[in-house]
Amino acid sequence: MTAHASPVSPSNSTTRALRATVMAVGAVVIYLIVLWRALLFAGEMTAGNSFAGGILAAFTRFDDVGNLFFGQALQQTVNALSIGAIYALIALGYTMVYGIIELINFAHGDIFMIGAFLSIVVTGGIFGQQDSVTNIPFLALLVICALLVSMVLVGLINVTIERLVYRPLRHAPRLAPLITAIGVSFILQNIALTIAGSGDRKAAQVFPLDWQISVGDAKISILNIFVFALALGLMLALQNFVGRSRMGRAMRATAQDQSAASLMGVDLNQTIALTFLLGGMLAGAAGVAWGLKFGYVKFDLGFNSGLKAFTAAVLGGIGNISGAVLGGFIIGFIENFASALGYSRWSEFLVFLILTLVLIFKPSGILGQLTGDRA
Amino acid sequence: MKFAKLAAVGATMALAVGACGSSTGAAPTAIKLAIELPLQGSEKAASGPIINGVRLALKQAGGAAGGYTITLPDSAIFDDALASSGAHDPQTGANNMTKIVSDETYMAVIGPLNSSVAKAQIPISNASGLTQCSPANTNPDLTKGAPAAALRTKPNNYVRVVTTDDIQGPAAALYILNNLKKSSVYIIDDTETFGKGVADAFEKAFTGAGGKVVKHDAAPKTTQDYVSIMTAAKALNPDSIYFGGVTATGGARILLAAAQVGLGDVPFVGPDGINDGSGSTKDSFLNLAGAKAAHSYSTLAGPGTFDGKTKFDADYKAEYGIDATGYAGQGFACAQIILDAIGRAGATKPATYAALKEAVRKATTDSTHTYKTIVGDVTFDANGDTSQLIVSIYSYDPAGASGKGDWKFDSQVDAAKK
Repeated sequence: MTAHASPVSPSNSTTRALRATVMAVGAVVIYLIVLWRALLFAGEMTAGNSFAGGILAAFTRFDDVGNLFFGQALQQTVNALSIGAIYALIALGYTMVYGIIELINFAHGDIFMIGAFLSIVVTGGIFGQQDSVTNIPFLALLVICALLVSMVLVGLINVTIERLVYRPLRHAPRLAPLITAIGVSFILQNIALTIAGSGDRKAAQVFPLDWQISVGDAKISILNIFVFALALGLMLALQNFVGRSRMGRAMRATAQDQSAASLMGVDLNQTIALTFLLGGMLAGAAGVAWGLKFGYVKFDLGFNSGLKAFTAAVLGGIGNISGAVLGGFIIGFIENFASALGYSRWSEFLVFLILTLVLIFKPSGILGQLTGDRA
Repeated sequence: MKFAKLAAVGATMALAVGACGSSTGAAPTAIKLAIELPLQGSEKAASGPIINGVRLALKQAGGAAGGYTITLPDSAIFDDALASSGAHDPQTGANNMTKIVSDETYMAVIGPLNSSVAKAQIPISNASGLTQCSPANTNPDLTKGAPAAALRTKPNNYVRVVTTDDIQGPAAALYILNNLKKSSVYIIDDTETFGKGVADAFEKAFTGAGGKVVKHDAAPKTTQDYVSIMTAAKALNPDSIYFGGVTATGGARILLAAAQVGLGDVPFVGPDGINDGSGSTKDSFLNLAGAKAAHSYSTLAGPGTFDGKTKFDADYKAEYGIDATGYAGQGFACAQIILDAIGRAGATKPATYAALKEAVRKATTDSTHTYKTIVGDVTFDANGDTSQLIVSIYSYDPAGASGKGDWKFDSQVDAAKK
């Protein structure tokens, strides 16, 4: 599952983690600067200046206008980090399941949608909250309860689906489970449709939206930081679990070679169920984050988000955990770039254009699939 | 257009079958009306009041006109929304219309709600000569110019009691400039026929009257992250926001995102697409937006107040136990117009259903006749457009609908009186 299945010495992995962190921070800073320059450039262009003037302005302006756009770029970068984190959390479920049983679980987006619904049942239904909660301990309780309920239940639903639907088809031709996954997706959507109806359902935005940090002209929403931190924490926990624990090692072994793993005493059924549990839990957390951030949930939410997350998984290299996270953030940043420059209608076009280009030049995705025989 | 042609052929065949049936039948005595609206998803909130309005008008007329018994059975209420998308679907609307025209006892159809559905239906209803009255379509292309002519192969059969988006959009623009005293606007539309059309008309009027459009953005209903879009909008510092579209294509989501980035106290104005019921109506704009709708305004492409509104509201409340909202009055007016036309058509005692149907069509589209409807005196021009060029403006009333929030009539402008 991880890029290196062989045990690595702690010092080696620390260096690797450090290097990855530096690269990630570097990428975010580069994005910030690129977006800032692009905004300045576009701003000068729309102000009626010449093309050359626009380019010149983008590299020379450090005045009030420059600051205004820098603030905007900073805010948008945080936006991109939070939506990217949601995509990454969902993409992890796609990639883990693919890594271990080579199934593209099309129902995974809908699993995320169910998680989003469960979180509003907790905050709006059980606790009866409608709006911002400024009492911090109570807010923490609410968010933790929503996370717990949503993650655990969605994880268990995902395991149940695997047990009832995918396991009997494990040795069937690969097309059979794929079509079944699409069927499960429709079933989940229709369950949500029957129970919740077809319109937008209001999600209580219990996390106060006016909690902001002011940095110059920019107002950074703490909610966005929270969503990003939550996702990052979960991803690190997953990485640790898969990389260090005994069960994680069983997962990696199963991903590499099912029959050899089972010969070595790995319980395949248990390991695969565990993979579905983890994927479902991450999707449940993404659902909670979605409700807090956007304030609505709809039965077909899983289709669009699922498609984006699946794209993220493919972009990063399906089957590759770091790849899914990277892909999720890349898609979040691309979408955000288009929106920030005011070309939101082109955001999906851009996302799929980049996917197409990556697949043409590197069919195994940016970080590559783990084993060559999975295409 | 290939589809429209195919549908027209289908409709003609259906008509031929119907005509064969009627040649053996006796003179008509009992006839039916049909309703065609989206009945699932977000738009159900807008359709409910229209159906109630039609039923009320029929009941008050005693279910008869011109010596005919007129009924509106439950089977005559057709749904053009898809459960899978939770929104209207032009193809479903066209299929419904094919079913309606194949039953010769239908004398008229009231609907649809959405202009895109009307675009798919008019070729079918027109080919069969079935009278169609829409209580809510506002897209100008349905009745005016070459696009409208392309939908029709026979004399006009389509009338509407609301005015068009080239009146509705500008009314909102002038309201923002003159009443709200805001000089700049950020426009976002949903890229669909209705949303883009009304937003374009709005933009033209807003700049024409000296206002500044900071940006006209567009985001399809599949958009995931409205927060990033509104963050970009905030940097442009608009005094107001205009949304072209309906609740189902992003209305409330955009408002929620705007509130999140600090545009929550900027007036948010939308067309009739977001005027879809109170805060207690499931799936409505106000239901989703909640208290964040505090600075929201919406328009309706028809009069919000009219002589006899008090009585209408009281009758409606007595019948259904809820307040009349949205296009309830327009539904009532459509039914009145059709009943009036059936009355005049019946005077000539047509011998067959087909002859009666044609007489009703002729009577309805007669541009010399003035209808006395609940919303006022109405004459239709040769295109089927109403002489009433009235747009009403609604503001948010947090105390309405028992504290859940409702639209409150603010004022209305009559473009004909300029």
